[in-house]
Amino acid sequence: MTKIVLNGREVEADPKKPLIAACHEHASHVPMYCYHPGLSPVGSCRICQVEVKQGEMPPRVVVACRTPVAEGMIVDTEAPKAHEARRQCLEFLLKNHPLDCPICDKAGECDLQDYAFAEGQGEGRSVEPRRKLEKRKSLGDVIVLDQERCILCSRCVRFFEEVTEKPQLTVAGLGARSTIETFGDRPLAGNYQGNVADICPVGALTLKPFRFQARVWNLSKAPSTCGECSRGCSITIEVLRKQDVKRLRPRPNPAVNRFWMCDHGRFSFPRFNRPGRLGGALRRGARGLEPVAREAALDELAERLRLDPAALVVASPWLTQEEGALLKALAPAPLLVTPPPSPLKDALLHTGDPCPNRRGLTELGFTALEAGEVVARLASAATALLVGERVAELLGAEALGGLSGALRLALLDTHVLDVPALELALGVPDSSERTGTWLNVDGHAGNLAHARPAPAGVAPLTRTLQELARRASGALAR
Amino acid sequence: MSAPLKREVYLLSRVGLVDSHTLPVYRANGGYQALEKVLTGGYTPAQVIQIVKDSGLRGRGGAGFSAGLKWSFMPDPAKDPRPRYLAVNADESEPGTCKDRVLMERDPHGLIEGILIACFAMRVKTAYVYVRGEYRLSHDRVRDAIAEARQAGLVGQKILGTDFCCDIWMHKGAGAYICGEETGLMESLEGKRGHPRPKPPFPAGFGLWGQPTTVNNVETLANVPFVIARGADWFKSLGTPKSPGNVLIGISGHVERPGVYELPLGISARTVLEECAGGVWKGRQLKAWIPGGSSTGLLPASKIDVALDHDSIREAGSMLGTVAMIMLDETACTVRAMQVIARFYDHESCGQCSQCREGTEWLHQIFARIERGLGRMQDIELLSALAGGMAPAKTICALADAAAIPTHAIVRHFRAELEEHVRLGRCPLGASSHAPELEEAHA
Amino acid sequence: MSDSKREGLPAELLRELDELVTHYPEKRAALIPALHRCQEELGGWLSPDVLEAVAAYFALEPVEVFGVASFYPMFHLRPVGKHVVGVCHNIACELRGAEEILATACRVTGAKPGRVSADGRFTVTRVECQGACTAAPMLVLDGAFHENLTPDSAAKLLGGVR
Repeated sequence: MTKIVLNGREVEADPKKPLIAACHEHASHVPMYCYHPGLSPVGSCRICQVEVKQGEMPPRVVVACRTPVAEGMIVDTEAPKAHEARRQCLEFLLKNHPLDCPICDKAGECDLQDYAFAEGQGEGRSVEPRRKLEKRKSLGDVIVLDQERCILCSRCVRFFEEVTEKPQLTVAGLGARSTIETFGDRPLAGNYQGNVADICPVGALTLKPFRFQARVWNLSKAPSTCGECSRGCSITIEVLRKQDVKRLRPRPNPAVNRFWMCDHGRFSFPRFNRPGRLGGALRRGARGLEPVAREAALDELAERLRLDPAALVVASPWLTQEEGALLKALAPAPLLVTPPPSPLKDALLHTGDPCPNRRGLTELGFTALEAGEVVARLASAATALLVGERVAELLGAEALGGLSGALRLALLDTHVLDVPALELALGVPDSSERTGTWLNVDGHAGNLAHARPAPAGVAPLTRTLQELARRASGALAR
Repeated sequence: MSAPLKREVYLLSRVGLVDSHTLPVYRANGGYQALEKVLTGGYTPAQVIQIVKDSGLRGRGGAGFSAGLKWSFMPDPAKDPRPRYLAVNADESEPGTCKDRVLMERDPHGLIEGILIACFAMRVKTAYVYVRGEYRLSHDRVRDAIAEARQAGLVGQKILGTDFCCDIWMHKGAGAYICGEETGLMESLEGKRGHPRPKPPFPAGFGLWGQPTTVNNVETLANVPFVIARGADWFKSLGTPKSPGNVLIGISGHVERPGVYELPLGISARTVLEECAGGVWKGRQLKAWIPGGSSTGLLPASKIDVALDHDSIREAGSMLGTVAMIMLDETACTVRAMQVIARFYDHESCGQCSQCREGTEWLHQIFARIERGLGRMQDIELLSALAGGMAPAKTICALADAAAIPTHAIVRHFRAELEEHVRLGRCPLGASSHAPELEEAHA
Repeated sequence: MSDSKREGLPAELLRELDELVTHYPEKRAALIPALHRCQEELGGWLSPDVLEAVAAYFALEPVEVFGVASFYPMFHLRPVGKHVVGVCHNIACELRGAEEILATACRVTGAKPGRVSADGRFTVTRVECQGACTAAPMLVLDGAFHENLTPDSAAKLLGGVR
C-alpha cells in the first residue's frame, strides 16, 4: 500500500488502482462519468479533476482516474482549481444536454443533475441550438436509448466489451456528432442488458420495465439478495410507498457479483407484486377453505404433526438458514424440493441452479430432491407439511391437485393452492418482507432485508416455526 | 543584426531530377551512402542516436521535440526484449501543410534511408509508414521505392549483407486529422477508432500493441541521412543554435507563388513571402497571416519580420508548428478565416473529451454566427472563456489546444473585426459567402 | 471460375487480405486498409453486408467494425454516386475561391453537398484539407487530385466525366 495525503489526512492507497479509487475508498468525493470501478479507465469525461502536488513540482490539476498513486502525493479534492475545472466541464456537457429532467426516469439519481447542482454554475451561456438525435430508440425488450441525453462516457460500450466479452454497442461517428449505436437495427441480446442502465450516469439508457413507473425519491430501498439462482447477487430492493416492488438493482459485492446482476434476476420483481397473497390462516371446512384464527390453525397443525411422527416435511429452497434450522429441529428428515436446472447458466453470474439456498439447507441436513420424486413420496404419505415461499409452485398445481384427499396436507406459503388434499394453510412473508440468510453456491452468506411490510396477518416464518415448536415439543420422534 | 543564415539546399536537392523517385537516380545522387556508413562503418546504435542528438535535429511534424532525445527514450533491449516499432507519421493533415508529400512523391528513397538508419539506432525491426489515405501518389511512390529497395537488399533481411534486418510496411489512414497525433495514429494503426491515448504512458514504453514505439514525422526522418553523411556540426551550421537545419516551408493563400520552399530555420517570414512567394498577390497588402498551420493562429501583418525558428516565434506569441504559412490580403476577412478554421476542429475532434467535443462545436457555432452577422458583443468574451476552458493541457491530446490557440489569437489581434461584424450585423468586407444551399447535408 | 466466397467477400479480395494481415503481429491492424480495399472493389461504399463480412474475416463483431468505419471520413456508409467529388473547403482553398469551386461542382453535377445527384452519377462532398494547399483551390475526383482550379477548369473537368 502507498501512503498519500488526502485532504489533509494520511491514508493508504492501493497502488494497483488509480487515484480516484483511493479518494472514493476514503470517502472523499470526486465526481466521475467515464470512470467506473468495474471497467477499464479511459480518462475522457475530464470531470474527475483533483489537485495533486508531488515533490517539488507545483500543484497541478489532473484527472484522478488516470493518475497513479505515488508515495507522498498530496491530494486535494476540494481545491478551488479542481472545482473550477469541473465547473467548466459541466458547462460543456450541459450545452447540448436536453432539459428532460421533468420526464426523465433518471431524475433524482442522475450524476449530471447531482454534479451540476453541486459544482455547476447554474446558468449556461450557450444560445446555440441543441443537437437533434434519436430520443426513443428501442434497443430490444430491456433498454431504451435517448441519444440526446448521452454524454458519451462510453461506459455502456465498455461494459459489453469487457464484462460480457461480446461487444454490442459502439460509439459511431466522431466529435460532437458521435452517437451510441448498435449494428443496424439489431436489438441488444443476452442476459445482462439491464446493467447498462445502472451504469449510464444520465438518462440515456433506461429500462423499459421501469419507464415512467416511479420517481426514484419515492422509492424506499433495502439491501438484499437476489433469489433467482444460487449466485445470490447482492441487490437493492426498491419499493414504492411501502407496497409494490418497483425495481431491483445490483449492489457492489466483490466476492459475489462485483457490480452486476443478470436480467433474469433483475426483472423477477413482478413476482413480488402478484395479488392473492395468503394472509393469516385458512382451514378446510364444509364450504371449502375458510379463514381461521392463526392460533387455532397452529394448534391443529401441531396436533397433526404429533399424531403422525412420519409426516413428510418438504421445504422450499427459498427458506433462509434461520428458518431451515428451526424447521430441522421440528422434522428429523426434511426434504428440499428443487426445480430443474436452468438453461440460463453462463460464465458470468448465473449458476444454472435456481435455488438461492440449496447449499445452506443441504448443509443443515435437508435432502434435495426433484419435484417429481417429492410428489411420489407425498402420494404415499398420510400427513405432509409444505414450508416456504413458492413451495407449492415448485411441486406443481397439477401434481398437488392429483394427490388423494386421504393425504392431510398443510401449506405455509405466500399464495394458497386450493387442492383437495389441502386442509390447512398459513401465509408467509416473501423474500422482500423478511430478514434472513441464504448461502450461495460458494458458501457466501447473503442477507435478506425487510424492504416492505408483509401483508396483514402474515407473521414471520421463524415465529410460526417457533410457535409450532413450542406446541409440538417432543411430539415428533427423533 | 545577426549574420545572414547559410543557404544550402539538401532536402529538396534531388526532387527536380527526372525520375527522382527511383532507386538508380537516388543512388547516383548520394543515396544510401549514409546507411552504408552506419552499417559497415563500425557504428553502434547508441552512437547513431548520439549523432542525431548532437545535431539538434528537432521534430518536423509540428511539436519540435528533439529527435535524438526521443529516440533515446526507447528502452534498452537487454532490459526490454519485446518487439519494438517505428511508426512514420505521414498523416500530414494540418491545414496549410503539404511538404511531406513532396518528399514522399519525389524522394521516397530519402525517407526510406532515414527510416532504416532510425531503425538501426533504436534496434527496431519493423517500421510502418502511416500515410494519410488521400495521398495516393505518396503511398504508391513510397511503396514502390520499398519494393525497389527490397530487391536491392536494402530492406528486409541481412541489409547490405550485415546482421541488420528491417521491414517497412505501408499503412493507409482514412481521412481523420486526429490520426496525425502520435497516439491516435497508433490506435488507428491497430485497426481501431483513432482515439488518442492519455500520456503517460508514453509510446516508448507503451506504443503499438503495448510495445516500445517511436513515432517520427517524414521530414524529420528525411533529415537523418544528411545528418549522418555530413555530420552533426554541418547540420548545426544551418539554421539557428536552438533550431538547427533546414526546414520545408509551405506558403499558401494570397501570394503570387504559393509553394514549398526549403530554407534554414530562423529565416524571416518576410523573406519567405517576398523572396520565395513573390509577395502578396494582385498588388495587395498583407493583412494577416498564419505562421505554422491553422493551429498556430492568425498574426497581424506587423509581425511579418519574425524569424521562423521555435523560440523567436514563441516570443512573438505564436508557434512554429509545421511552418505552413497562410497569407491573407486586405480583402480577406479574418472572421471568415476563423470560422473555417473552427469548423475544421469541430469536424476533427475525436469526441472523447467533454471540453473538446462540445467546445470545438461551440466555438464553430459562435464564429459562424458572428461571421453571418448574428453575433453578440458578449460572444467575444465567451470565445475567450471557452477557449480558456478547453486549454492548455486540459484534455487527452492537444486538439483542444489547436482550436483554442487561434481563438485567443483572433480576439487578441483582430478584436476590432469581430466587433465590427457584431455592430454592423454583417461582414464589413462583404466576404461572407454563407449559402444555405451549399451546406453539407448530414443524412 | 472464382472460388466460392469465403465469409461473403470475393476470393481475390480475400487473397489480398490474407497477404495484408501478414504485415502485422495482430490481424486486426489490417482492418482499415482492408476496408479501403473493400470500398474500392465493392461499389464505392461499405454496406452493412460488407461490414458483416469484414467483421467475420477479422473475428470481430459487426458493431465493432461499424464503429471503426464510421470514425473515418473516407469511408462511405451510404451509397455514393458513380463518381465521388470532394471539394476542399479548408483555409488555404477558401482563400483562393473554394466556395466557388464547390458551387460550380454542384451546378455541373446536379448533386448537393453530401448527396448523390438525381441521376446517380455523382456524389459531391465538402472535404477538409487534402494537403494541396500550395496548389489551391482543388478537388478530388475518384481519389485523384485536381489542383490549381478555376471555376471554368472545374466545370470542364467535371463536365467531361463519363
